Amino acid sequence: MASAPGNRPHVGPTQCVGPDYRSESQKPIATVSTEVKYETVTTLPQTPQLIALLTFTVSLTYDDCGYRKIRDRNTERADFIFYSNRIIRLLVEEGLNHLPIVEHTVTTPVGRNYAGLMFQGKICGVSIMRAGEAMEQGLRDCCRSVRIGKILIQRDEETAQPKLFYDKLPEDIAERWVLLLDPMFATGGSAIMAVEVLKSRGVPEERILFLNLIASPEGIGNFATKFPKLRVVTAFVDQGLDSKNYIVPGLGDFGDRFYTM
Amino acid sequence: MNAGSHSLAHMADKSAATMTKRAHYSPPWADLSIIGVAGSSGSGKSTLSHAIVNKLNLPWVVILSMDSYYKPLDPEASKKAFMNEYDFDSPDAIDFDALLQTLQDLKAGKRAEVPVYSFEKHQRMEETTIIYSPHVLILEGIFALYDPRVMDLMDMRQIYCEADADTCLSRRILRDVRDRGRTVEGCIKQWFGFVKPNYEKYVVPQRNHADIIVPRGIENRVAMTMVTQYIERKLLEKSSHHRAALKSLEAGFESEPLSKRVVILKETSQLCGMNTLIQDIDTSSEDFIFYFDRFSCLLIEQALNNVHFKELTVETSTGIPYHGLTPKGEVSAVLVLRGGATFEAGLRRVIPDCRTGRLLIQNNVRTGEPELHYLKLPKDISKHESVLLLDSQMSSGGSGLMAVQVLVDHGVPQDRIVFATYSAGRVGLHRLTKVFPEIAVVVGNMVSDIEERWVESRYFRC
Repeated sequence: MASAPGNRPHVGPTQCVGPDYRSESQKPIATVSTEVKYETVTTLPQTPQLIALLTFTVSLTYDDCGYRKIRDRNTERADFIFYSNRIIRLLVEEGLNHLPIVEHTVTTPVGRNYAGLMFQGKICGVSIMRAGEAMEQGLRDCCRSVRIGKILIQRDEETAQPKLFYDKLPEDIAERWVLLLDPMFATGGSAIMAVEVLKSRGVPEERILFLNLIASPEGIGNFATKFPKLRVVTAFVDQGLDSKNYIVPGLGDFGDRFYTM
Repeated sequence: MNAGSHSLAHMADKSAATMTKRAHYSPPWADLSIIGVAGSSGSGKSTLSHAIVNKLNLPWVVILSMDSYYKPLDPEASKKAFMNEYDFDSPDAIDFDALLQTLQDLKAGKRAEVPVYSFEKHQRMEETTIIYSPHVLILEGIFALYDPRVMDLMDMRQIYCEADADTCLSRRILRDVRDRGRTVEGCIKQWFGFVKPNYEKYVVPQRNHADIIVPRGIENRVAMTMVTQYIERKLLEKSSHHRAALKSLEAGFESEPLSKRVVILKETSQLCGMNTLIQDIDTSSEDFIFYFDRFSCLLIEQALNNVHFKELTVETSTGIPYHGLTPKGEVSAVLVLRGGATFEAGLRRVIPDCRTGRLLIQNNVRTGEPELHYLKLPKDISKHESVLLLDSQMSSGGSGLMAVQVLVDHGVPQDRIVFATYSAGRVGLHRLTKVFPEIAVVVGNMVSDIEERWVESRYFRC
């Protein structure tokens, strides 16, 4: 693994990506997730498939030969939705691994025993509007009839601070595990506010899993200091934030690209 | 004839070094038996051949008529043909080289293209018929036992049909007028001009090469039963050879670790939880299908990590480039029916427009030998960057071996094949990777060696 020093913010670590049985020379090199040292943070395995999905997601203005695509915005949006959904599904599958389990042995159709396990505890999803709602389909793909609460947080024009505008959460949320959904995790301002809302409704920090597609090292650091027991599951930790607090390189406004662009 | 040497020749592109390491698998179709049926025109050759095929009622017995191998005619010969003055009943009218090529290809386990000849136009048509993987081929034609090179390829009974000349002539007139657009006068002209003289000169001598002489064609039930019984016995022998060969691939599986190219899904608690629901006999069908689809989606995602990618730098919305990856080319899938079809929902979630070939392999209830019943692949499959081969379960590895062999026969390089299955046993995996060491295999669960197929009946609910 050849990782570049992080002095220039837009050069992320690069490494050969591919299955173990291939030699380094057979594997292409790509920029992978920046390493973070918190135990509560899980980054998806940096497989070639995940990197390719991210490549499609962060840029849809180029086709796979590197030429600018000539096509309408709707096609571009359809692709964006499809590829980001695939990453979200992988994120949810990983996130669910953190739920408590008990052993459970069953008999299979061919009569042998399977020493399996069962999940314990109820869950619910909470999406931070509007981009977080884009992750609901992925959650439903894995958990069919899951309850989903919503929180609307907007930046206050005057103070430039995030402000809670609306929330609608399951009544028994205090007894549930909460999967908090927001695809872009930059400074984490709105996510911090959302967690505080959840905590005020009686959800302990250790029962919250924050799922996001792309995170910044700064956001992760802020979270780890504020909520040391809360778990974060992300597909990719980007290189940093720019002067406007946008994730670098990032993918633009997720909500716009998913809903309106 | 030793069929093993043929399939070895088929794999001759491999270097000597890998050859020694590689275990050998010879699919049943690389062990083709050819039966020749010759006889005068109108003697009942094709009726007899069809009767044999009907009686056997097996998909791997095909009839190849030498009529397909008439040489294309030049304009002058064509003119003669329309005036019934061209000699179709001389061995010179037959393209023995093309016939030999077809038979050699089939013997080597490859697919072969058979020309289509139009009797109305006296011409070879543009389209061809494709034959793949027969176990027994019946070569039927007046000169089936004529060319010594063709005779050398035959290892089963050679049959000569005999009928009296009056019967032959009347059958021929009926057929040519009805099926081949001729007139009665034309037929009679041909008969006395060519058919009869050639019959004595070229056809009758073939009697000496025949093992069986069948008088009265189809009516001769004794001869027909003899032939069909002979074929049945031969097929049974082939099947036990094939099963014995499969068995011999097991050697050493206990002492050797699995190939590095076998990727087993990491057993996370989520995966184990899904497996618990999938494997529990008491899970409702609705839940079973839901969780199996979810599982298969993860399996396909994992399989895709084994295809080939290339580097791609893209510009992001912040203007800063991202050094990412993109698949090198088209990824298609081939489903081994019926089991592989359980992955279709998962496959479509990952690649909605994935081109998908299908093949049906069934284990013979009586012998336990896997048999290829049906095959439909994308035409340009040999050019696809990667091919996912999907089957729900693999126990002995017999059908897996056969499925990979089919892809290899169709020109897909081994290192572009990713075999994915919900569950597999060590023996099966060992066999498969011994024979095809360059393929990648992705397995959902490791199970005991011989597990009956249950996933497909659970998924399709029948």
